[in-house]
Amino acid sequence: MEIKKILVVDDEKTISSYLQKKFSKLGYMAYAANDGEDAVEQSFSILPDIILLDVKLPKLDGIEVCKRLKSDNRTKHIPIIILSAKAQSFEIRQGLEAGADRYLCKPVSFPDILKEIQTFESK
Amino acid sequence: MVRKFIFKFRELGILPKLLISFLILSIVPLIIQGYFAGKNLSDAGLQAVQRAEDMGKVNLQAAEDIGKTSIEDSVQALDRKATESIELRTTELAMRIADFLYERDKDILILSSFKPDSQKYLNVYSALKRDVIIADTGTSSKLMKKQTTDLQSKNPENKESWQHRPPHSFKKLPKSLYKEITFVDLLGQERIKVVNGKLSENLLNISRKENTYCKAEDYFSQLNNLKKGEIYVSRVIGAYIKGWLYKTPEGIKVKPESAYAGKENPQGRKFEGIIRWVTPVYNEKGEKTGYVTMALDHTHVMEFTDHIMPTEERFTALSDGGSGNYAFIWDNHDKCISHARDFFICGYNTASGKEVPGWISRPTYGEYKKSGLTLEEFVNRLPSFRAFTQKKTGSMEQMKLGNISLDCRVLDTAPQCQGWHEGTEDGGSGSFLILWSGLWKLTTYAAIPYYTGAYGQSKRGFGYVTIGANVDDFHKDANIARTKIESSIKHEGKEILAANIKTRELISERAAHNLKIVTIITIIAGLAVIGTSVIISLNITRPLRRLTDVAVAMSKGNYEQSIEVKSTDEVGKLAKSFNEMAKVVSEVDKMKSDFVTIASHELRTPIQAMLLGISGILEGFSGKIDEEVKEDLELARVGIERLMRLVTNFLDLSRIEARKFEFNIAETPVADIIDLAVKELSELADMHNHVIIKNIPTDIGNIKADKDRMIQVIVNLLSNAIKYTPEGGKIILKANRTDEEVLICVADNGYGVPVWAKEEIFNKFFQADSIISQTVGGTGLGLTITRGILEKHGGSISCESPLSEEEFSDLPLGYERKGSIFIIRLPVPRSSST
Repeated sequence: MEIKKILVVDDEKTISSYLQKKFSKLGYMAYAANDGEDAVEQSFSILPDIILLDVKLPKLDGIEVCKRLKSDNRTKHIPIIILSAKAQSFEIRQGLEAGADRYLCKPVSFPDILKEIQTFESK
Repeated sequence: MVRKFIFKFRELGILPKLLISFLILSIVPLIIQGYFAGKNLSDAGLQAVQRAEDMGKVNLQAAEDIGKTSIEDSVQALDRKATESIELRTTELAMRIADFLYERDKDILILSSFKPDSQKYLNVYSALKRDVIIADTGTSSKLMKKQTTDLQSKNPENKESWQHRPPHSFKKLPKSLYKEITFVDLLGQERIKVVNGKLSENLLNISRKENTYCKAEDYFSQLNNLKKGEIYVSRVIGAYIKGWLYKTPEGIKVKPESAYAGKENPQGRKFEGIIRWVTPVYNEKGEKTGYVTMALDHTHVMEFTDHIMPTEERFTALSDGGSGNYAFIWDNHDKCISHARDFFICGYNTASGKEVPGWISRPTYGEYKKSGLTLEEFVNRLPSFRAFTQKKTGSMEQMKLGNISLDCRVLDTAPQCQGWHEGTEDGGSGSFLILWSGLWKLTTYAAIPYYTGAYGQSKRGFGYVTIGANVDDFHKDANIARTKIESSIKHEGKEILAANIKTRELISERAAHNLKIVTIITIIAGLAVIGTSVIISLNITRPLRRLTDVAVAMSKGNYEQSIEVKSTDEVGKLAKSFNEMAKVVSEVDKMKSDFVTIASHELRTPIQAMLLGISGILEGFSGKIDEEVKEDLELARVGIERLMRLVTNFLDLSRIEARKFEFNIAETPVADIIDLAVKELSELADMHNHVIIKNIPTDIGNIKADKDRMIQVIVNLLSNAIKYTPEGGKIILKANRTDEEVLICVADNGYGVPVWAKEEIFNKFFQADSIISQTVGGTGLGLTITRGILEKHGGSISCESPLSEEEFSDLPLGYERKGSIFIIRLPVPRSSST
């Protein structure tokens, strides 16, 4: 599958804008959302090829976002990589049960993030 | 023993402790009290019974003694009374006989005053009659009983102890007093003879013995000496009638061929005899013309004694020789002249006119045999009353012949004969007891005071009357009394015994009752004690136990605890403060968790930002950079990675410590754990040119563990081994299993661990050498977490360093390669399968 559009969801603007910048530089179309509601809206409107999702989000938390997107026919095919500081096993389980395809514990280096996304490209 | 008990007691819970203490304090004294009270009661009661018994025994004994004495006294009294009355009777009888004989003197004197005349003699003969009692065997048994009627005095003042007998109704027949009356001339020729109520023509000369009665009279020779008014009285002369006695189981019996013997042989021939009175007859001139004789029919004399009964019957028609209760007469020569058994009466052999010798004892008869004399001669010469004893028995020969007349003088089998003889010596009377044929017999005697003619020669007179009586018959009343007293004593005794038994039963009943009560009280007290101690302990032990449970739960990490506060006492206060403490702890823990979570969480975000930025630059995503810049940024990256690891480990550790770490325990093959761990680090090992050797037996089996955590443990040890071993090192992984545990060892030939640090290395933030650790990296938490995980699995970890070359020959050691080995011990799962 070819990945063109990446949606980065993180309430930390520094992180989301960095990733957005770097992804764009690499040739992707990178979008950013900073709260859960926005993330859902943009997912429906953009229909990205992959979503990088943080759990700690205002308005709607990442788990909810994941559930919603994965239960909606329009967006359920989109692979979701959770990237969260919540690193306890129950939190990881929560995320995976919500439907996330991958769960990465912050901090993750940029090259590692890229690697993860690329694994989905080859699928 | 005591120590053991104290030990056990200490280990008991509060409730049992209380129970036991209370029970001992309250029940034991109760039991002791009850026991003693009961015992006292029982003892007192038993004592009372014992006393009663003793008294009873004493009383009984006294009663018996009194009874015995009174009976003895009454027996004696009876004996005295009876003896007295019988003696009196005997004496009076003797006097009556004497009177009777004196009357006969009168008879002959009157007759002698008449001129001898047949008609006169006949008249006299017919006139002189006397009644003789006829024994009618049909009615005799009736007569034997004491006769009573219902006759009563009409006057009530006379009714006291009224006794009455109607007169005896014996059958009587008048019989002539004399067998014959004769007038004999001076030459002895009978001139007048009245016999059997008729004048007899058979006149004999009586100077010749063979013409006399039984051919035995020889009185004629003595007649010449008689003066006017002088009387000759003969002895009793009669024919001896034989008798035979024989023994039967019922006693001695009389053969029917024997002479008459009253009840014993009523059909026998009666003894017939005479006593002859003679006195001279004078004519008007005063010349002796002859002699008048009157032969008294001896039956009349015998009549005096033949019907005497010394018992309450008083008289009997038929005497009973076997009863021992009869009267008999002995003459002045101690010969028997009247007896219930006529064969005992001395008599004459009518053929020879000689006296039949009396019955002598066997030994004496033996002497006779040796003597060569005739029995008559021998007996005549025999000394009187020689060696009389009951031990002798009568001679068999005489018994066989039936010649068993009683001559007291020679009857040496009957000592009472001697007694009578001696007693009547002075003409007196008396009595004595003799044990005759196993029975005590009373015998009374009285001399018959008739002294006419030859009978005047001794004070004994005519002879003596004896009456024999069985003593027991007197004692009948006393015996009845005795029987009554004995039975009443026995009855009393039985009653006392029964009463005592009853008393004892009562006492034991009481004791049992008391025991029951004591038991009930004890049980109630016990229940009360139990109840009380249960109540008390519930107020203490239950809350305490709850407290304990809650504390345990808290120690396991469950901080959300509280206890119900039920009271305001010390326990309640304790519960309250515990709740407050739990709240604080829970809050603190929460705070800590929150802090850790938040901290680790919050820290991640800035670290993420740093990492992104720096890793991005380093990987060239932010454009080209100088080598120097790269190098400097590298420093930052390392720091960030370290920081990251620290954050991760810190969270892990705190969670492990807070017992909040969740383990997924499952049976996991040891081999898998090791393989996965090795796989994860193989790249790192290659980088350092280390060789990892696996020495795992195929049957190492499984352990119950959280797979990921165990892998984490092995990874930690391996990574330490890799880090702390100089390049080109060797790391050996070994595992083996025993019955109790599974051992996993990680050995290396690295720098080793200093001796002082073998324990310290497991502590937080410990790092052997800051320089080495800076090179190696690491957080100093790995071993702490490893140990935490292993301890959670019930296992342990230890370290040995340096290693000896002999033991670890497969590890090249030397110089800086000191070597170290980490040994993991894990318990064997119960249901493990190999």
